[in-house]
Amino acid sequence: MKLTQHNRRQFLRDLGISTAAIPFVAGLPTLLRAAGAQTVPARKRLIILFSPNGTLPDEFWPDEFGPEKPLELKPMLKALDPFREQTLLIKGVDNKIRGDGDNHMRGMSCLLTATELNPGNIQGGSDTPAGWASGISIDQQVRNHLQSREETRTRFGSIEFGVAVPNRADPWTRMSYAGNNKPLAPIDDPGQMFEKLYGGAKDRGSVASVLDYVKDDLRRVSKNLSPEDRTLLEEHMQLVRQLEDDIAAAEKQNELVHPEPEIDPNIELTNDNTPAISRMQIDLMVNALANDMTRVATLQYMRSVGQARMRWLDVEEGHHSLSHEKDSNEDAYAKLKRINSWFAGELAYLAKRLAETPEPGGAGGTMLDNTQIVWLNELGKGNSHTLSSIPFALIGGGAGFKTNRALNLKGVPHNRLWLALARGMGNDELTTFGTDRYCIDGAIDLS
Amino acid sequence: MRSHFRIPFFHLVFSLALWSALAAASVIGSTPQAQLGAVIFRDMCASCHGTDGQGVANKYDEPLAGSRSLSSLARFIERKMPEEKPEACIGDEARQVADYIYNEFYSFEARRKKGLIPRIELARLTLPQYRNAAADLLGLFTPLPTQGGERGPDDDKEVSNTKTESGLRAEYYQSKGMSKADQLQLQRIDRDIDFDFGEGSPSANITADQFTIIWDGALAAEDTGHYEFRVRTENGARLYLNSENTGGRRKLRDDSSVVGQAALIDAWVSSGEMREQTARVFLLGGRQYPLRLEFFKYKEKTASVRLEWKPPHGTWAVLNHHYVNTARVSRTFVVETPFPADDRSFGYERGSSVSRAWQGAVMNASIATAAEVVNRLPLLAGFEVGDPQRMEHVSEFVARFAAYAYRRPLTSAEDHLLREVLFADATNPEATVRRAILFVLQSPNFLYTDLAPEGESPSQHTIASRLSFALWDSIPDKQLLDAAISGALTTAEQIEAQARRMIADPRARAKIRGFFHEWLELDERDLAKDKSLFPEFDEAVIADLRYSLNLFLEQVVWSEESDYRQLLLADYLILNEHLRGLYESNPGGPKPAGSAPDVQPSIDFIPVVFPADGRAGVLTHPYLLSAFAYHNNTSPIHRGVFLTRNIVGRRLKPPPMAVAFKEDEFAPDSTMREKITQLTRDKACISCHSVINPLGFALENYDAVGRWRTRDKDKPVDTKSQYVTDEGSTLEIQSARDVANYAVTSESAHRAFVTQVFHHLVKQNPSAYGPDTVDHLRSQFEDGSFNIQNLVIRIAALAASHDHKTAPQPEPTP
Repeated sequence: MKLTQHNRRQFLRDLGISTAAIPFVAGLPTLLRAAGAQTVPARKRLIILFSPNGTLPDEFWPDEFGPEKPLELKPMLKALDPFREQTLLIKGVDNKIRGDGDNHMRGMSCLLTATELNPGNIQGGSDTPAGWASGISIDQQVRNHLQSREETRTRFGSIEFGVAVPNRADPWTRMSYAGNNKPLAPIDDPGQMFEKLYGGAKDRGSVASVLDYVKDDLRRVSKNLSPEDRTLLEEHMQLVRQLEDDIAAAEKQNELVHPEPEIDPNIELTNDNTPAISRMQIDLMVNALANDMTRVATLQYMRSVGQARMRWLDVEEGHHSLSHEKDSNEDAYAKLKRINSWFAGELAYLAKRLAETPEPGGAGGTMLDNTQIVWLNELGKGNSHTLSSIPFALIGGGAGFKTNRALNLKGVPHNRLWLALARGMGNDELTTFGTDRYCIDGAIDLS
Repeated sequence: MRSHFRIPFFHLVFSLALWSALAAASVIGSTPQAQLGAVIFRDMCASCHGTDGQGVANKYDEPLAGSRSLSSLARFIERKMPEEKPEACIGDEARQVADYIYNEFYSFEARRKKGLIPRIELARLTLPQYRNAAADLLGLFTPLPTQGGERGPDDDKEVSNTKTESGLRAEYYQSKGMSKADQLQLQRIDRDIDFDFGEGSPSANITADQFTIIWDGALAAEDTGHYEFRVRTENGARLYLNSENTGGRRKLRDDSSVVGQAALIDAWVSSGEMREQTARVFLLGGRQYPLRLEFFKYKEKTASVRLEWKPPHGTWAVLNHHYVNTARVSRTFVVETPFPADDRSFGYERGSSVSRAWQGAVMNASIATAAEVVNRLPLLAGFEVGDPQRMEHVSEFVARFAAYAYRRPLTSAEDHLLREVLFADATNPEATVRRAILFVLQSPNFLYTDLAPEGESPSQHTIASRLSFALWDSIPDKQLLDAAISGALTTAEQIEAQARRMIADPRARAKIRGFFHEWLELDERDLAKDKSLFPEFDEAVIADLRYSLNLFLEQVVWSEESDYRQLLLADYLILNEHLRGLYESNPGGPKPAGSAPDVQPSIDFIPVVFPADGRAGVLTHPYLLSAFAYHNNTSPIHRGVFLTRNIVGRRLKPPPMAVAFKEDEFAPDSTMREKITQLTRDKACISCHSVINPLGFALENYDAVGRWRTRDKDKPVDTKSQYVTDEGSTLEIQSARDVANYAVTSESAHRAFVTQVFHHLVKQNPSAYGPDTVDHLRSQFEDGSFNIQNLVIRIAALAASHDHKTAPQPEPTP
């Protein structure tokens, strides 16, 4: 089933997070005022968005770099143009982690952890076999820091979203780690995510919608019974009425805080539904952030070596196979351009949703002003499998980096970028992250 | 209610004449005898039995009603009543009061007149019934697993068609880099998964550096509850349990992007250290679940893998081949929603009441079931993703689902609601199916076992539904429904034939297993013992004993004779090596030559025959002897009460006062028997304990863990007692076998057994099916050499075909 535009709107309406509704969805200003609170410091949020199989460097990086030069985006990234002034591209930041595993595995599982893989039994396309990453990932590091303090603690701490991630756990499919040998699985089913965020509210709604029929049945069945037996059904009827009241009361209570969605999107998790699933996941993410259920979120598209067939872009070949083609293969090159443009478009949609949502809590500005989005990839370039110059695109204001520019740092270990991110997110104590020897000179200065 | 004073005997005699005249006008009985009886009852009996024999809380709380004849009742009163002074009411007075009691409220006719006869009560599904019904509802739509779906073209057809064997199908592959299941080199059946390949290879044609093994088959769960599984390996492994059997499974490749099932235990990625990963899963007893273990070694130095489990009431052990087999089975849906406990106040679970907690559980269980249905909709409703006819399939599915759930064809109004009304405002098919399932599973048509209209003969579908709930605690299967549709449940023979077919199903085994657990009170006891006194009696021994008892029960019930008497008389125990060490080394140990029945040897449990006086069926099974004992000593009272109520079938009222058993109040050298005798000699106690104690004392040869003993506190054990039976005869009893011999010939014991089986199967009072139901079943039971399977079949058939309209009315009392 392909989710039509109409259905998507239906889904959003039921979700209660159409654009116009967002300020009410967030709901918290009302609550805070009611509690007599004054303005609160803006929340800092972190979103990490992953797309696989390397980029096309010539289409990704601008022609000119420099701390004072305004950013100019290449056509492949034109979807990001509305956010150009809040965008920072950083070339020359390398994943220098070596050791066990092929470049895809290390690209994926060392990307956010910036530390080596354990030796292991998973054989890549080359190199030695490897196991899980041996340390925590940066998103979880930020999460733990925020959760350690009362004023920044949230219900979930972090939420790991996925789109079309295969149901298997190995170093190619996991980028977030709670610690050594502790990979975290992204949830790629919007229905399941929905359930996680809103509990049984939609189920209660569905139950409420059939209770009238249940009561009809109780009445009908009662007629045939002896008076003694009828008393049991009368009690049963009372309980059904009670349940109706309870559900109504629960919904009324929830109306003010979290508008709980009423229906299940029920979308089939098929390759062709990926665009619709992607938007649903982004909508759910923005809603969760607006409601302050979490301040850290990751969004993982497919997996390293993923073979998604993006037919919605007129691409029949698997993504990973295409990424191996030489640059001279014009057809493959054009397709990879479309693919990476599409990812940029999804990123832009996320940024747009954040930009059009006022920052809850009366701090002013939009959510994007206080959210750091990091878009990244496990490889610098698909057909060379390089881990140098990972395409890092940073959007938004969460970490306080200076934007509207492109920098070329020419070979800085990405450990130092994560140190800068941790600092930007409020952790000034962190002096090393991941493998120590790549942390010399500390956080990159991005202010 | 009027309060009554206890009147001294002489006073009573004096006042009788005076009161009889005054009472005459208000007493319903017409004969002068009955009038006298009424006065006697009021003065001597009503304080415990209530003014209308309805019972008095904490005195004798059950209604004064039963099946004794008038003369038997009179003899009983003469001998036993009033309890504190039986000699106060003898001769004519006993006969007069018996006459009054009998005609006022004791006899069936009297109760019928007063509207007190038990009736078949409307009942909702009990928790086991709910779980089984939900599982079978989805099961009716689940396709059979595809044969050999994941097998290669070179597979031997014979292998996939052979009959089920114990153990798991194993495929051994040579791996090649990322391709794990690269070359199939060996196929065989492995019994237990506990392999240590060291640095070597599992087979000559497989290299030691990289190989993959896939084990596949079915797990048979006997009890309902939480099962734990543990995979121990330094390599990679995934355990799948109760996953969808998708067929055509991918060859294992590390770089495959095919979406697979979620594993119960995923230990695929390894760094070569030995790891143990554990997971817990809730399973419904009496069913089989698909089990698959994928294992691979890739360049680690060594390889080993072990699959262990801990079933309910069990201890951690390697998953034994006794519990796994090579069958290909489909996923079974298991409702895990917690429910409030069913009413057990009558000694068996009944769905006699509803509550908020129950309503909440019904809602949550219907939500869980609807989610399962929606997740598996294409499979269950039989369409391919993207099928243009899918709405038709879905609407057809919903209607069939409801008909299975209601155990009958839908009315046209019901069909209209499900196919038209619910689909009219459909936003999408999944949401509609969800609502339909939520509705059907909350409808009384699903939730109540028997809604046959008052005063009508049961329909074919009603008969089918009653049969399946009686035998399986579940809804009818397709064969039974076909029989209902074709009118083949009309004659008694037809119904019995269906019951006979159904009793062979694992669900019937699970239900009968449940009966034994209820009858023997297995699930309520704590067997832990004082470690200093019984150091060898640990959890493993308890688990083995429970297993041993279950084996014994199944051996008796599922043998051809299925003889109830063997449950009490058998002179053997089914023991393993370890238990033999604990229980053989005594004078009651096994005879060298025996005639143990041909028990299917299972694991290392074998029948061990004891001398006739050594063991007597369940009465002396160490599990029960331990269950009915203190943590540091025997308990003749616990054993005696159990034997009295459950085995011999006599009623006991609750103790008039709570008496604590305090060790230090007795002389240090007192035997258990001496202590109990001293403790219960009070008049208020002895009327019941004169019945309880002799049976308990007869088991004093078995210590607190059920081992044979001849001495207690350095005195010889004294097991001898005079035992007065329910009918007044006196027996000399001095061993468990004496008790067993008495029980197997006692009608009241048989009646109790029949009644308890009836309760467990039908969850109704048998008297509601006619005053002679139990007697009738009992004599059939006796005439049929006490065949338990036949008893079960007769009870199920009787309850299924019961017709209010034509049920025999009780004959008027002569």
